[in-house]
Amino acid sequence: MTAPAEAPPAPVPPSEPAPMAVRRPPLRRALIPYWLLLPGVLLLLVFFALPLVYQASTSVQTGSLEEGFTVTWHFRTYADALGEYGPQFLRSVLYAGTATALCLLLGYPLAYLIAFKAGRWRHLLLVLVIAPFFTSFLIRTLAWKTILADSGPVVETLGAIGFLDVTGWLGMTDGNRVLATPLAVVTGLTYNFLPFMILPLYTSLERIDPRLHEAAGDLYARPAVVFRRVTFPLSMPGVVSGTLLTFIPASGDYVNAELLGSTDTKMVGNVIQSQFLRVLDYPTAAALSFLLMAIVLIIVTVYIRRAGTEDLV
Amino acid sequence: MNDTTAGGDVRLVGISKTYGDSFTAVHPLDLTVPQGAFFALLGASGCGKTTTLRLIAGLEDPTTGSVFLGDRDVTGLPPYKRPVNTVFQSYALFPHLSIYENVAFGLRRRGIRSVKKQVGEMLDLVQLGDFASRRPHQLSGGQQQRVAVARALINHPRVLLLDEPLGALDLKLRRQMQLELQRIQTEVGITFVHVTHDQEEAMTMADTVAVMNGGRVEQLGAPAELYENPATTFVANFLGTSNLIAAEVTSVSGGEIAVTAANTRLRLPAARCATVPTAGGKLLVGIRPEKISLSYAGDTDDTDTDTDATATVSDGRNRITGTIAASSFLGVSTQYLIDTPVGPALEVYVQNIERDPRLTPGAPVTVHWSPDHTFGLDAAQDIGAGVATAAGSAGAAS
Repeated sequence: MTAPAEAPPAPVPPSEPAPMAVRRPPLRRALIPYWLLLPGVLLLLVFFALPLVYQASTSVQTGSLEEGFTVTWHFRTYADALGEYGPQFLRSVLYAGTATALCLLLGYPLAYLIAFKAGRWRHLLLVLVIAPFFTSFLIRTLAWKTILADSGPVVETLGAIGFLDVTGWLGMTDGNRVLATPLAVVTGLTYNFLPFMILPLYTSLERIDPRLHEAAGDLYARPAVVFRRVTFPLSMPGVVSGTLLTFIPASGDYVNAELLGSTDTKMVGNVIQSQFLRVLDYPTAAALSFLLMAIVLIIVTVYIRRAGTEDLV
Repeated sequence: MNDTTAGGDVRLVGISKTYGDSFTAVHPLDLTVPQGAFFALLGASGCGKTTTLRLIAGLEDPTTGSVFLGDRDVTGLPPYKRPVNTVFQSYALFPHLSIYENVAFGLRRRGIRSVKKQVGEMLDLVQLGDFASRRPHQLSGGQQQRVAVARALINHPRVLLLDEPLGALDLKLRRQMQLELQRIQTEVGITFVHVTHDQEEAMTMADTVAVMNGGRVEQLGAPAELYENPATTFVANFLGTSNLIAAEVTSVSGGEIAVTAANTRLRLPAARCATVPTAGGKLLVGIRPEKISLSYAGDTDDTDTDTDATATVSDGRNRITGTIAASSFLGVSTQYLIDTPVGPALEVYVQNIERDPRLTPGAPVTVHWSPDHTFGLDAAQDIGAGVATAAGSAGAAS
């Protein structure tokens, strides 16, 4: 901090006493972090904080598009929205939760494989994980419509092996259909958010010193025990950030429910979308958004507390 | 794991390790580490010492050969079934567990429920009783090292394997830990196999040292034995410093060998020759720098004998004349490099008891030593083997 030699050439004549030259640059340097922060802070202010305040005010307005909306502190909108769209909230949490669990089950073995066993294929596999991003989100989701089409090979096979009986019993499918059922929505969510699970998992697994595995083995731990006592606990930061990166956007998603689901599988995202863009009931849409935010925040807080990784995330 | 059927001997029989089809880390090797020994595997990096250790631990599968613990063949056993424990180079402490849980890890895996007493005793043994609830990253390097030792020792392994356990510590701490490890070894009486590149560490701590080079054991023995009677140029150069002089054997008679090098006659006992010399053959003559005395050239004449004993060269000593090329004052001793007809840069260490002010660079001198301190090596070897590696490891160690 006090290295005058590294400071930008100050307009100080050589005759000027040295203490001045020493004193000035530190102040300028002390300000540098704030200058670097400025663009980000401005961005957040303009595109996050202000819209949030605007949204909050919208949610307590009443009126109509023709007469205009005015702030009337009408908090009833929240209670009404929650009462009316309870099932959609429940579905959002349920579908997003199921998709997150599936992502973890599918993503963990893959991340583990890439981190520890892939050797020189590691980078190729990582590229393959994010390769779907090179195609539009909508196209990929629409493709699932074809994959899960009635009487298609996938659905036929699932029916033949009795899988659809199980999911039917769980209430996730209806008869011999997959499309337009909760299963289709959950499948789409799982597929679309899988990379957001794999990448943080990979990052935290890759950071684990392989010698810890050796040390655990040396201390009489069988491979399964090594995983349970060493690998998995040490990958918790990845598990937590992966599940958050999957669950939070998935719970607000509406594209999968729109394209792969039916009216019976609408999530909160679909309601918000239709309130904002079709019904044009802005206060209800805003209130729904805040309610979703609050619900997700509560779930996430409880989850992080339970996972006990506040200091690791 | 605590069965007392057989001793804690470690026997490696014809063991070797090849990676891919080109690189051989360990050439077929037979090695026996007796129970209760403090055994050091010494060598430069890449010499196969760590691979040998990992073969004993079961962390590597041998390409050929078997590993025996006592009478039991453990070659096919995975690490978690072997009654050996390892202190890893970087300690490999579990960062998510407390010190207490780190130390208790092995006991818990073996289904032992009440670990409190044992863990407490073990932490006391390594003097970390107050640190039980800390996490590894809250401890200093030396403390982490002691945790690693405690975590391994608590299982009462037949053999404790130490892979460069002091490599990450600074010099002072390393000295302290060397003594500590020796104390612990004496206390628990478990066989220690210690891998190190630091020859001083190996000699201070171990009762038996195996010097490894290029995947082979060059020589095995007690530290003093290896130092005084190196069998190869590698050992002579890697373990301390040696002056090696290429010479021609002139006669072999009555337990004494006479050689000449650059018209200088030198003698050495046949018993200290690692090869069987024949008259007319070549021989490498070795002498340790601290065994050489240094006199100002004129003093070696019989006339001037009044200064001190070392100034006089009695008959029967090997002597070579030369000039001082360089000297460096090291406090306890002064290190001289002497240019001589038999070779440049002969190293001489002189204790700073009474310093002769005339011994400065450029001064003509006579170096002389007792023939009994001279050893002989097979001249077919590379005279400089182990020099660079020793210097390199010394640099890495400091």
